[in-house]
Amino acid sequence: MMNSDFDRRDFLKVLGWGGASVALAGCGNGMVENGKETVVSYVETNDYMIPSISVYFNSTCAQCDAGCSITGRIREGRVLKLEGNPESAINRGKTCGLGQAGVQNHYNPDRVRSPLLRTGDSGEAITWEKAYALIGEKMHGVSGDEVAFLTGGMSGHLKVLLGNYLDSIGCKNHVVYEAIAPAVVRAANKKSYGVEMPRININRAKVVLSFGADFLGAWVSPVHFSQQYAQFRKGVDGQRGVLVQIESKMTITGANADRWLVVRPGTEGILAFGIINALGTQGLKLSADIAAAVKAYDKERVSKDTGVSAEQIDKIAALLKARTPSLVLAGGAAEGYAHGSQNAAAINLLNHVLGNVGKTIEAAAVVPFPQMEPATGNTAALKKLNDDLAAGKYKVLFSYAANPVFTAPGAMKFKENMAKAGFKVVFAQYLDETALQADLVLPLNSPLEDWGTQVPEYMAEGAQINILQPLMEKLHPETSGMGDILLALIKQRRAEDYKKFDDYYSYLRTALLQNKVALGGAGNADDDVFWNETLSRGIIKLPGATHAALSGKSAVAGLSLPAPASIDAQYPLQLIPSVNASLRDGRNTNQPWLQESPDPMTTIVWDSWMEIHPSKAAELGISEGDIVEVAGKNGSVKVQAYLFSGIHPDAISIPLGRGHEALGRYAKGYGVNPFQILDVVFDKETGELALHETRVKISKTGERVIVVKDEGPVGGRQMGQKIAPKLPSDKVNLSGEI
Amino acid sequence: MSISTLFENYSEYRHIHPVDDVPHNPYKWAMAIDLDACSGCNACSVACYAENNLPVVGREKFAHGQAMHWMRIERYWDEDGREFPDQGARFLPMMCQQCEAAPCETVCPVGATNHTPDGINSQIYNRCIGSRYCSANCPYKVRYFNWWDYPTTDNVWPAEMNQQLNPDVTVRGKGVMEKCTFCIQRVTVAKNDAKTQGRLVRDGEVQTACQQACPTSAITFGNLVDPNSTVHRKWQAQQVELDKDEQTKDMAEGGSELRGYRIYEQLRPFPSVMYMERVRESAI
Repeated sequence: MMNSDFDRRDFLKVLGWGGASVALAGCGNGMVENGKETVVSYVETNDYMIPSISVYFNSTCAQCDAGCSITGRIREGRVLKLEGNPESAINRGKTCGLGQAGVQNHYNPDRVRSPLLRTGDSGEAITWEKAYALIGEKMHGVSGDEVAFLTGGMSGHLKVLLGNYLDSIGCKNHVVYEAIAPAVVRAANKKSYGVEMPRININRAKVVLSFGADFLGAWVSPVHFSQQYAQFRKGVDGQRGVLVQIESKMTITGANADRWLVVRPGTEGILAFGIINALGTQGLKLSADIAAAVKAYDKERVSKDTGVSAEQIDKIAALLKARTPSLVLAGGAAEGYAHGSQNAAAINLLNHVLGNVGKTIEAAAVVPFPQMEPATGNTAALKKLNDDLAAGKYKVLFSYAANPVFTAPGAMKFKENMAKAGFKVVFAQYLDETALQADLVLPLNSPLEDWGTQVPEYMAEGAQINILQPLMEKLHPETSGMGDILLALIKQRRAEDYKKFDDYYSYLRTALLQNKVALGGAGNADDDVFWNETLSRGIIKLPGATHAALSGKSAVAGLSLPAPASIDAQYPLQLIPSVNASLRDGRNTNQPWLQESPDPMTTIVWDSWMEIHPSKAAELGISEGDIVEVAGKNGSVKVQAYLFSGIHPDAISIPLGRGHEALGRYAKGYGVNPFQILDVVFDKETGELALHETRVKISKTGERVIVVKDEGPVGGRQMGQKIAPKLPSDKVNLSGEI
Repeated sequence: MSISTLFENYSEYRHIHPVDDVPHNPYKWAMAIDLDACSGCNACSVACYAENNLPVVGREKFAHGQAMHWMRIERYWDEDGREFPDQGARFLPMMCQQCEAAPCETVCPVGATNHTPDGINSQIYNRCIGSRYCSANCPYKVRYFNWWDYPTTDNVWPAEMNQQLNPDVTVRGKGVMEKCTFCIQRVTVAKNDAKTQGRLVRDGEVQTACQQACPTSAITFGNLVDPNSTVHRKWQAQQVELDKDEQTKDMAEGGSELRGYRIYEQLRPFPSVMYMERVRESAI
């Protein structure tokens, strides 16, 4: 885009960097090359740098893995704000609050600024040369089997480069760990539909029946689903979409449902069978095997098991039968049990029964570069790593974009086991709990000052590869991109093969240009033109991407649902660790906008809380602000109580993401970390952690606090005023709406 | 006019501003917010922090009611004593309603808050003396007072974090009142661009920060005077008129089947934000 007819005044035009050397110098920040501060003369500036005029560059949001495309507003070399890039099919110009806070991740005062080497209990700043030499020394004579590389979810060229590095050291131990990824649902989807992450079309459904899928909050690709949801509410063929949410603790999606049904924890699959049974009773034709499987699940029994009334089950079945197509979703709340796979399979079966597969559930487009597809994983992978660490198998452990010391259940003793690795290298933007256990911490660039490619796990429409490019000059001269670090490490082994790449930028550029035609470029296009156009768009849309057909079958063989769990006399309550759309697994907690952004349900800020149903609270004599001790088999936390009627009376809920002992000034010491007290129960089929299987008891400590929250003393009441009214759908005329 | 007459018939004496002679030419900025689309996700609120240099006050000051969120999400529950909130919650994005007869304006002793010709209730920071009368008189409680000097308070904008501050928006010091401006910095740029090119601002040319972020596109912003603007057409389709304190459609027997309404319309502030009621399916 930086061609000769560039219009200075047309500042909205989105530019691509021509290369690392043209990076803008921000006020007070050094140059890439020499670390010196530079006075920029405005007498003769670059074309795109006009004082007081903003320029816009496209990149990709890295606050979560959904892969929303962003446009950064840059003025005088500083990135000021992130907006959605309208060209992306994923977010279409929109962002969530978490994405908005990306700039606070970038400008965060608690970032690690130089490589740190542990000496005893303290860290010492060292040079990169020394750090690399040290890694080279520690890796010397170590076989690949004695090395483990732990990462969060990763994709694109970074994943390719990591694969190459692991190859060069003969290591097969790439452990991918995402603490709250929908691992069980992925596996169930693979069985039900033939793909782990099909494309779902909320906007084409007339009814959405969601079993705890928080698609407006933190589930998979919330900004994309929020847009689908808005269309769904506007209506398909003029009929406003109906959302029914079934879960034990109300999520933000549940709060937006037309009907929110509280279900006994763990009985989601039973309810799904009950609905299939009711559909059969109401005349929907079921195949013989399905009819046999659900035969025992008549509505009286199901109602008794789940706590959902028989009348309500009939109503849901009638609605699903009358309004097609519909869409049934299995989410985090359904998969978090030892029988999570069975729950998810039973729920997915509803889509087959209702004929939604191929209509509201479709095959997603596939990026034709399998090596770039996202690597995913969850606690099953971490458990193996943990066991191997405990056995003293590893001499060197690398960790990137994961914080297992914070997110692994305390009973796994990951921190202690990690200490058994000989040499621990953590690549980090912050000194989080895991980085504090490292021998060597290598400081990373923020995603807003780094290069990269990303392939989203959930593909919205056509296949796309997202581009990350620096939105400004590096803030701290001694940080480095993960790609640059991997390149340096790989050069320790295969210097000859990689010598032509000065940095990750040149690697990325070469790699993309080599595949110019496959990436949609004209065969005879000039490399620079193609490259600059790619960067200016921030997205590569792949024209020839294939849609594999969904191949899963609706088989019910092997599907058996356990009876509802009986109440444990010693630990009578079920702990639901809830996932908040902003804080999620806790990696973004040091961004103060997110700490001060009220939880949508409770409006609480800056702290953790325990949600308890008012009836249970009355039984136990608990009122709002009581500090209670929540104790399970694996430890306890003390937390303020909040009375919340959107939860099953036999369950309590504590949000994840807070309770850091490190990470930074805005995170450390605020709230409690429920990961630490989880029971270590795994889903029987996939071996993934069953996040909702923890049983606890609670007791009052006698202390009380005033809950810090946004809602006023009258809570969520309108005191007879017309502030936020609602209309029943049969009393409203939507036909003339704009 | 005795003081008792004034109190008894206050609304008759209220001055609707701007007066009827040449109202809002060529602009009257207004909003429409669809509560059936709003999911209560808070993206608008965080976007507002990013755009308007809002300070993060921290836990202790938040507890004292000193939060500075110009845009906040209010959450209400059904009040009929049900055991579970089985029809969900009701979310409401609440910010300055940019009233035409703003209760805050009449009580400011120094005229720091006043009305712009294009219908925005503006706040002149360096005229404000911090009497806080405006906040006391605001029925929506959307005015936020700087109890502290946030630019010099620890950990509000520490080094590097201050580089994110939007240079188009003032950073406010201690002792002044502030509130939502309908992103007047964005409006001004669009108006100047249009003026330079000898035209009016086009519909959609300027988006507020909350509107731009909103994942469900629940917020519409634009020029109410322009008959072709989306916001004008939405107000018209909902039969909500700016200068009424009770809408004709609501006076009909049995009420209206349209969703548009304004909060506290009966107080005669003539707010510039129309909300559209949340809908709940009756078949389930």
